[in-house]
Amino acid sequence: MFSSAKVLLPLLLSTCALAEHTSNWAVLVSTSRFWFNYRHLANVLSLYRTVKRLGIPDSQIILMLPDDMACNPRNAFPGTVYNNADRALDLYGDNIEVDYRGYEVTVENFIRLMTDRVSEDMPRSKRLLTDDRSNILVYMTGHGGNEFLKFQDAEEISAFDLADAFEQMWEKKRYHEILFMIDTCQANTMYSKFYSPNILATGSSEIDQSSYSHHADNDVGVAVIDRYTYYNLDFLETQVREPTSKLTMGNLFDSYDEEKIHSHPGIRYDLFPGGEAAARNRLVMDFFGNVQNVDIDGGSGKNETQWLDELKAIDNMIEEAKRRHNESLHLQPKPQHVVEEAGAPAAEQSVRKEGAVRVDEESGWAKQLVGAAALLGCVGLWAAGSWFESL
Amino acid sequence: MAPTEGANASSTSNTTPNDLKSPGTPPAAETPKTLPPPETKESLRLRQWVIASFWAVVLCLGLPMWWKTTAIYRADLPLQHMTDWAEGKICKPVFPLRIAVEAPFQLPDAHNLIRTTQHALDDLNEFSAHHLRLILADIPVARNASQQMVTDGMGISSNDRDIALLLRLIPVETGTTPRSMLQTYATRLDIYYAAHQIPSSSSTGSPLATFIAEELHSIFAEEQALLAYQLSTNVGALTPKMKAPSPEKVAELERQSTRALKYAPTYHLTFSLFSPTSVPSAWEIESALQQYLAPLLESFSFISNFTVDTQVQLYAGFSPSIRQPEYDDNLKAWTLRREDLSGFINAAEWPLSPSIGVGPTVNFVLYVPDQLQSPLLIKENGGNSWLVPQWGGVLILNPPTSGKNTPTVLTKDALAPAMHAFSDQLMSLLGFPQTPNSLPLRLATLERVRAASLLFSASSTLGALARLTKALPSIPIPDTVAKSVDLTIAHLQQSCDSLRDGRFQGALEHARTAEVEAEKAFFERSMVGQVYFPDEHKVAVYLPLLGPVAVPLVMSLLKEIKSVVR
Repeated sequence: MFSSAKVLLPLLLSTCALAEHTSNWAVLVSTSRFWFNYRHLANVLSLYRTVKRLGIPDSQIILMLPDDMACNPRNAFPGTVYNNADRALDLYGDNIEVDYRGYEVTVENFIRLMTDRVSEDMPRSKRLLTDDRSNILVYMTGHGGNEFLKFQDAEEISAFDLADAFEQMWEKKRYHEILFMIDTCQANTMYSKFYSPNILATGSSEIDQSSYSHHADNDVGVAVIDRYTYYNLDFLETQVREPTSKLTMGNLFDSYDEEKIHSHPGIRYDLFPGGEAAARNRLVMDFFGNVQNVDIDGGSGKNETQWLDELKAIDNMIEEAKRRHNESLHLQPKPQHVVEEAGAPAAEQSVRKEGAVRVDEESGWAKQLVGAAALLGCVGLWAAGSWFESL
Repeated sequence: MAPTEGANASSTSNTTPNDLKSPGTPPAAETPKTLPPPETKESLRLRQWVIASFWAVVLCLGLPMWWKTTAIYRADLPLQHMTDWAEGKICKPVFPLRIAVEAPFQLPDAHNLIRTTQHALDDLNEFSAHHLRLILADIPVARNASQQMVTDGMGISSNDRDIALLLRLIPVETGTTPRSMLQTYATRLDIYYAAHQIPSSSSTGSPLATFIAEELHSIFAEEQALLAYQLSTNVGALTPKMKAPSPEKVAELERQSTRALKYAPTYHLTFSLFSPTSVPSAWEIESALQQYLAPLLESFSFISNFTVDTQVQLYAGFSPSIRQPEYDDNLKAWTLRREDLSGFINAAEWPLSPSIGVGPTVNFVLYVPDQLQSPLLIKENGGNSWLVPQWGGVLILNPPTSGKNTPTVLTKDALAPAMHAFSDQLMSLLGFPQTPNSLPLRLATLERVRAASLLFSASSTLGALARLTKALPSIPIPDTVAKSVDLTIAHLQQSCDSLRDGRFQGALEHARTAEVEAEKAFFERSMVGQVYFPDEHKVAVYLPLLGPVAVPLVMSLLKEIKSVVR
């Protein structure tokens, strides 16, 4: 008893000494389309609802839904998505923000999201704006196989791609810790190629094992949730009742019952600093909630008059800076300044316009030139061939 | 055509022996029938030409074309140079601070005082990268400048920005000497001394010199600690002369760096008023911001820009998932537990992140509780405001208890305490140091700390890019990346040089540009590696296409080579 306490104490201390996280993000991805994959979308929506309940704001949840089950013509309950045959809880609700939908859910977009290599006009809500103090929950579900996960029946992401994406994130200090969770067939192979630190990974089934659905709703007509996700949610919804919960990831992993899940869930600890013990001591809320250490110290302790004095002083300082700036302006010849001012916006505008046109035209012309050259080459070859023949 | 003619020829030649009816000839006649006749020289040559031309097309046209179209363009990056920057081999940031001394006595004495003080200062200094250098101010000019400064009230507006602090020695007859006074709104430290305390030219140490050195050291202690912390966390190794700071100090610095926002060129400030009822439905926020916050934002403008928006949301209660407040009889107030404060923000329903603009959002939430649950305080310290690290601040504004109802409009005066708390929170979110008690000095400290942190972050981005370039051969690297990298390195170098020369404003400017360019290089849009192709996939793609073409080509070549060899 004492010895175990002795072992635990430095460990606890060391985890406390580590820098804490200040924000929580969730990337929730379903990768399959079509009505019979209803359960994959229900999986993701259930998890979305849970992390939102535990405090992660919508702006920090990236939800990827490749299909719209609520509005599917085969849905007997239009506008709703359920994850249970009792249909007690409508997952779609009236406050849901899907960030990537339909054909936007692609391997490329997913990797772009993770590495933040997106175009400049991408709205902030569709970007993963994390830093080295962010914990990220990455949950994926769909149809997969040995070291791959299908996206929309059209392409696939391999375990190598995923590992490289995480490595790029680590290099750019884009996360503090990641919990990677995947529910698909042979799921554990997907995290086997990871090599970046601070990742805790768990999957629903081993290699050559399928991941099964939990139950079907006869009125909806298809299976509504997968087993592994169902039992995760069961734990999160019944045990983790409020944001102050002190349950650990160890508690969550211990709740996995292979009898019930019908496959062997895997957990990968070796990338996590401190290994298994440290990972199991992490709170569930470190990944599924948004709890920070708030600071209730009353600021700098200055009283109000000091503050007002300070403001006045800053005001004076700024006035002074402005005055001197104006003085330095007055020293310059005035007409030149006016001309500059008048000229600047126009020039800027024309430059901008030119830029936009130039890019389009150039790429268009270049393409047309290449095409024309290729065509001419073919014609030339043909002509040369026939000339040789006629000889 | 030639072989058929040959066959015909042989058949015609066979007829003659048959006509002769010679019994011994048939076996001999069978052998030439199975063998094709020898090919003519021209036909052989022609076939060789055909094969050669096919191979020429394949090798001269096909292969380069295939190579060109499937190659991944990778611009040359100065990888070693980038790694050196990241490892801090090229730039060791130093912070030489010049302190002008204005002494109203004879030159030799002044020099002597400066020399002894400098000695004492150097002995005190544990962090060699940050050192204070005393210089003698040109007295008549300094006199004018300081008088001007007194009228301005602000030392930061003095013309010589490279002087970090002006030390002014003032002789007095009364009071304890030596004593010091730091101007709150100017970069000036007044030292009062008695005439007999001036060290004679022969003495090597004096109480006055020691006193000045200690004062200066304590003024810049926090800045030194901040910079040393930056250096140790980023470069990884403390400078050997630096002794390890105490654990409490490290914890405090750690806490500060946890709170402070990551650098962004623009921050977006959102001020929100939430109320669970229908009142208050208006607030004089615009004039309040103008009066209480605008000066502060203006003074930070050399580091970042700020955009501001405000909103009022009615019937917006705090998060239902935390424990409801309890009534505390001692405080005569409703109380929230500290551990619930983080969950207080109703992230699911409060529209907090407008996701507009370019910068990260800093939230300031003003919550006016229901009349029935008022006043609402924090159980642990009886306060009403808290700071959420890297996110923003929250303040619960309890309506005055004397009033019967919550006012419908919050006046500017009613908002003053809230604005005070918010400006404090904003300062600590921006990493504003807490000492010394002089505003311009603290701003200057922030400038130096930010310059250092930007320098480190841009360098580490360069290192990350270099490592990724080596590790992932499948990602393309366009020329724009190389250009950005060159720009980053150039600006880093200039920033580092400016630091060494003590031009901190310039150093910050260059570091900012370097950071922006480094981010641009790293997040170049086209640098997404092609999806992983295992070798089996490559075989599967090329074999059906190239197999049928390659087999006759290779076989004919081999046959031709064989015949030539024979």
